[in-house]
Amino acid sequence: MCSVDNFFLLMEGFATAMQPMYLLFALGGVLVGTAVGVLPGIGPAMTVALLMPITYSLEPTAAIIVFAGIYYGGMYGGSTTSILLNTPGESSSIVTALEGNKMAKAGRGAAALATAAVGSFVAGTIATVLLSFVAPYVAAFAVQIGPVEYVALMIVAFLTVGALLGSSVLRGLASLGLGLFIALIGFDSLTAQQRYTFGSPFLADGIDVVLVAVALFAVGEALYVGSRLRHGPIKIIPVTGGWTSWLRKEDLRRSWKPWLRGTFIGFPVGTIPAGGADVATFLSYASERKLAKGENKKQFGKGAIEGVAGPEAANNAAAAGVLVPLLTLGIPTTATAAMMLVAFQRYQIPVGPQLFESNSTLVWALIASLYVGNLMLLVLNLPLVGIWVKILQIPRPYLYSGILVFAVLGAFSVNFTPIDVIILLIVGILGFFMRRYGYPIAPMVVGLILGPIFESQLRRSLAISQGDPVALVQSPVAATIYVVLIVIFALSLLLKRRQRQFEAMVAANADASDVVRGSASSSEAAVAPTAKTTDQREDTDR
Amino acid sequence: MSTSVQNAPGSGTAAAPGAPIGELVFALIIVSIGVVGFVSGAGIQTPPSASDIGPRAFPFAVSGLLVAVGAGLVFQVLRGHRGAADEGEDVDLDAKTDWLTVGKLAGFVLLHSFLIVPLGWPVAAAILFFGAAWSLGARPWWRNLMTAIILALVLQFVFGGLLGVSLPPGFLEGLGVFGG
Repeated sequence: MCSVDNFFLLMEGFATAMQPMYLLFALGGVLVGTAVGVLPGIGPAMTVALLMPITYSLEPTAAIIVFAGIYYGGMYGGSTTSILLNTPGESSSIVTALEGNKMAKAGRGAAALATAAVGSFVAGTIATVLLSFVAPYVAAFAVQIGPVEYVALMIVAFLTVGALLGSSVLRGLASLGLGLFIALIGFDSLTAQQRYTFGSPFLADGIDVVLVAVALFAVGEALYVGSRLRHGPIKIIPVTGGWTSWLRKEDLRRSWKPWLRGTFIGFPVGTIPAGGADVATFLSYASERKLAKGENKKQFGKGAIEGVAGPEAANNAAAAGVLVPLLTLGIPTTATAAMMLVAFQRYQIPVGPQLFESNSTLVWALIASLYVGNLMLLVLNLPLVGIWVKILQIPRPYLYSGILVFAVLGAFSVNFTPIDVIILLIVGILGFFMRRYGYPIAPMVVGLILGPIFESQLRRSLAISQGDPVALVQSPVAATIYVVLIVIFALSLLLKRRQRQFEAMVAANADASDVVRGSASSSEAAVAPTAKTTDQREDTDR
Repeated sequence: MSTSVQNAPGSGTAAAPGAPIGELVFALIIVSIGVVGFVSGAGIQTPPSASDIGPRAFPFAVSGLLVAVGAGLVFQVLRGHRGAADEGEDVDLDAKTDWLTVGKLAGFVLLHSFLIVPLGWPVAAAILFFGAAWSLGARPWWRNLMTAIILALVLQFVFGGLLGVSLPPGFLEGLGVFGG
């Protein structure tokens, strides 16, 4: 496959994605995506899971374009929340919150939002270009690998996802194991034997992936937040001035290098299964902090614009990077990617190395829609910031009640039987306890989706080798994959550890500076205790 | 780092307050799921013609993983290493767990599952929203009710009517725009 061919295929993709109907779907996707990115408690993974019923009535290209818009939109929306909301956010956006929140409190919220939005656009666009040129080559390589190599790739994906998508290795692996276990329930696809159905006809067909995902994301989250709902008014830092004057020359001068650095850190980190955007944002933040000089360096911890520009760019570039293993190998490394894979499966589109050949129109339309969606997000994001702030103010009881209603809608429409709503509740309660005791959700969803694919590949490889397990490591390609990926795995674990030390250090510094500058403003003082809890949450096992 | 933080006073505040009995029970449940996996997995029939490792091997491997990891977690919790409860913008980690609210929310979801067929989806969904909003502390009741009704009708219209998802329309039966 030569690159000129790919260029033409990409142009054809644009021809598809630019059709007015698909532009509308992309617009809808990025708007919904930004809204759910802004809203606490809902992420893109949950949204794609909740919107899975649209796969019943939309044709594949339209649905995939909507989901891609939600995926990218969610990345943009998250930064608005962490900059403007006066409470600590999720860990993936904690870096942005560090500097962005401080900037907003110092009256520079507009600049923080602007550098995040433009940086996301720059990074998203460059990373999508990289995706369009890297992915076909990876796919061309991937179609040559056999089940043995595939097993190797998936084992490493399980390891990294289980061990890295959370703060504790054992809890991540437990979560992965639970997902693999639930995926086993039902008929064995090769021998048609019933497994773990306990004689129940409801379990014979297995538990639907969407049902479990909606239960874990939506019901688990609603129950958990309900158990510890933060009461009182929602404090949002006001943004002043017209949005056109937000990014001053000085800001731009300080931002463009972090944007580019963030992009080239984020994309590769997203491509390898190394814990997703979390690690990428941290790496970018750490390098910006290191590279800053003089007056700018002193601003770190008090609202340095580089500390928003770099990590936000890295975040978006990583999101594009995650699509490389998803589209070329069929291996999702984040929860949202896992849900996109489910959407493909709903349409009986085989995801894996053959995707680029068998469904090339769809894949290139998807990639083209990422370019379009990115541009839409840049154009929409800044002028519409008033709307996002309004959305941020939705009363929380209504927000979480709404999430529950969407969850039962999604569950019921799987098979149109109320039993599924009861299964939804049971798995949701499991999700509640997992959150409460610090078990990450994403490995379970990835295990649930990859488990059956993994088992059939494993059994195919062993059937070829007539049951000899040594064959699994004998192929030179598989052996190389194991070695290379074990090195990546070790490095990522190390990085993760460094990240935690670093976060604790930064949080401690932030506290200290707040105490010193205690006279600054009342809102500044109010955030000090919350910063302290972030510091203390540092995980205790390991 | 972890060694210096884990014994720091107050490091447990992020996790559930009080004795780690719940956490211990949860880890034990993971172990027991693995044990059930072994016991029940032994009953899986293997056709004699199977040329591969058969339908039992992978279930055994997953059960083994659950038992091993679960046992490791039991050990960790007993040694005082607690998990860090999930963070979130709307989560107040210093608050005590409000079991009553969790119970109410779960109860309304359960109630909803029994109401879909007799009353139709819109009514069942409106009751769920109304009940959940009330459980989470939204007042006044009439505004909750209005929001619930509007949301249920809009969702029925968009998903049942426009997108063709077959939600039972209940009393709206016969009105084409709400599907059926």
